[in-house]
Amino acid sequence: MMTGLDFSQLFERLPSPHMVLDRELRFVAANAAYLAVTMRRWDELAGKHVFDMFPDPGENGRKLKASFERVLETGQPDTLAYLPYAIAVPENEGGGLAYRYWTAVHTPLPGPDGRTAYVVQNTVDVTDMVRAEEGATLPFGHIPEATSLIQRVLETAAMKDEAAREADEFRRLFQQAPSMIAVLSGPDHAITFANDALKRFLGGRDLMGTRVRDSLPDIAAQSFMDWLNQVYRSGTPVSGNGVPIRVERPGQPPGDYYVDFAFHPIFEKDGVVKGVFVQGMDRTRDVEAEQRQRILLDELNHRVKNTLATVQSIAKQTLKESESPAAARAAFEARILALSHAHDLLSRSSWAGADLKTILTRELRPYGTDRAEISGDPVRLTPRAAVALGMVVHELATNAAKHGALSNGEGRVSAAWRLETGEAGKTLNIDWREFGGPKVSPPAKRGFGSRLIRMSLEGELGGSTDLRFDPKGLTCHISIPIDESSRHDKI
Amino acid sequence: MTKSEISLSGLKVFVVEDEAIIAMMLEDMLMDLGCSVIGPCTGLKQAHEMLAGTDTPGAAILDVNVGGEQIYPVATALAERGVPLVFATGYGSVGLAESWRNRVTVQKPYTQDDIVRALNAAIAA
Repeated sequence: MMTGLDFSQLFERLPSPHMVLDRELRFVAANAAYLAVTMRRWDELAGKHVFDMFPDPGENGRKLKASFERVLETGQPDTLAYLPYAIAVPENEGGGLAYRYWTAVHTPLPGPDGRTAYVVQNTVDVTDMVRAEEGATLPFGHIPEATSLIQRVLETAAMKDEAAREADEFRRLFQQAPSMIAVLSGPDHAITFANDALKRFLGGRDLMGTRVRDSLPDIAAQSFMDWLNQVYRSGTPVSGNGVPIRVERPGQPPGDYYVDFAFHPIFEKDGVVKGVFVQGMDRTRDVEAEQRQRILLDELNHRVKNTLATVQSIAKQTLKESESPAAARAAFEARILALSHAHDLLSRSSWAGADLKTILTRELRPYGTDRAEISGDPVRLTPRAAVALGMVVHELATNAAKHGALSNGEGRVSAAWRLETGEAGKTLNIDWREFGGPKVSPPAKRGFGSRLIRMSLEGELGGSTDLRFDPKGLTCHISIPIDESSRHDKI
Repeated sequence: MTKSEISLSGLKVFVVEDEAIIAMMLEDMLMDLGCSVIGPCTGLKQAHEMLAGTDTPGAAILDVNVGGEQIYPVATALAERGVPLVFATGYGSVGLAESWRNRVTVQKPYTQDDIVRALNAAIAA
């Protein structure tokens, strides 16, 4: 053994709590660590019976007594891996009982006769570890009591690690979840957790540990604050779909969004609300898509009604000017088809516009390529111009077939156009000329066609027209402004 | 009906309708009723110009959506001059802006009778 070493000093200074009892279980010695953990002075304990000092009439007291007795009887060490044991707190420390958990190793110390004269207790307060474990809601109490101190400590440590690891994993999952998640604590809604999706949405503000009204004044100024308070007070959830929210990110103009959200109360074990669990989803894209769809439906309805009114107008005017029901039927069908063809061209280009050449070709092709000459630069017409010109060209072609150059065997039609750029922008000039037809005389009354040319090209398209019933052949000069910036105009 | 036609005869009606073919029909209907037509205007600019250069009309029939623009500035100018207004729209009265929703509307497509009823209602209002 070592010499010159003061064993009483060694005992006194051991960092782990130690005490020594005699065979009657009376205190013989206790080191500073033991006095500290039991909140006692040595003069209170000296010579006193351990169970007088730390009484426990219940099962745990019996277990402790049994362990002491085993050591005294067998001369072998004995371990209590886990012992819940309450100790009285001195009045000057606040009084009452401190509920604590202990691990204790009892070692026999022989007297001069070789018989066990003393029991040395080394005890460790493991309350914190147990609490950590309970906090992680892991099942508890299945640890065999015979487990040695080391095993016990290792195990507790391992369980603590496991709990920490699981908590970490959950935290990471929540952190990376696609929806926005926050945990708020207390009546002031202190932010104890905010995941990445939420932080991104709120513009990377520092949220952890702050109160909602301090770090998110923009959000707190909206109904969300009232709803948080309501959840905290009433313990009932609040949720909403497609709720408008204005976010004022630092250094950025305010942004308007729509969110689905749910605020759920977080309850303590005793049923008292201790915070609010916040979940949210940015639904701005969906809500805006729904709004766009509504606008499209309105627009569709508008177009359908307008088209029906157009058809109604064509029907009324065709019936009024026709000489016979058969002529009326033929003219009406032809006009509806011309309208329909213009729509076909547009729907093929998703209503982005149509080509003038295609419109002319479609109306004049039935008369044969040798009877109609179509020439000009490629011109993209707006939907409005395409429909108007489609109808006008139909009227011109029909008139030519009925009274003009296409009504005999040899007449011809020339449709030529060019785009001219002037100060006011681009102008489309179309020249319609008829040759070789019967002698032309002006009609007795202005029909649908000539009225349409004036109304749609001058009125609707803001152009000018010059329709002449030249005896040698009808001519029609059309001049309309081409605004290439408004390809998607309404019709 | 007959009574209404008589009462509308000679009425000067300001018309804004951007679709030529529909405007032609409305013009026919109004002429049949003995009304005289101011217009039809096919755009807001033209409507403002025509209004500035004409006596106050007896009534107005206004398409709501004119070449992608809303008719309301023209409607306001007419209302300020006390002109009875009829809105013609594909949407019905829900297609009107909130502040104009209690005005008389005809939904496209409309008949000549619809126009008679609407003009009478607007003048009586």
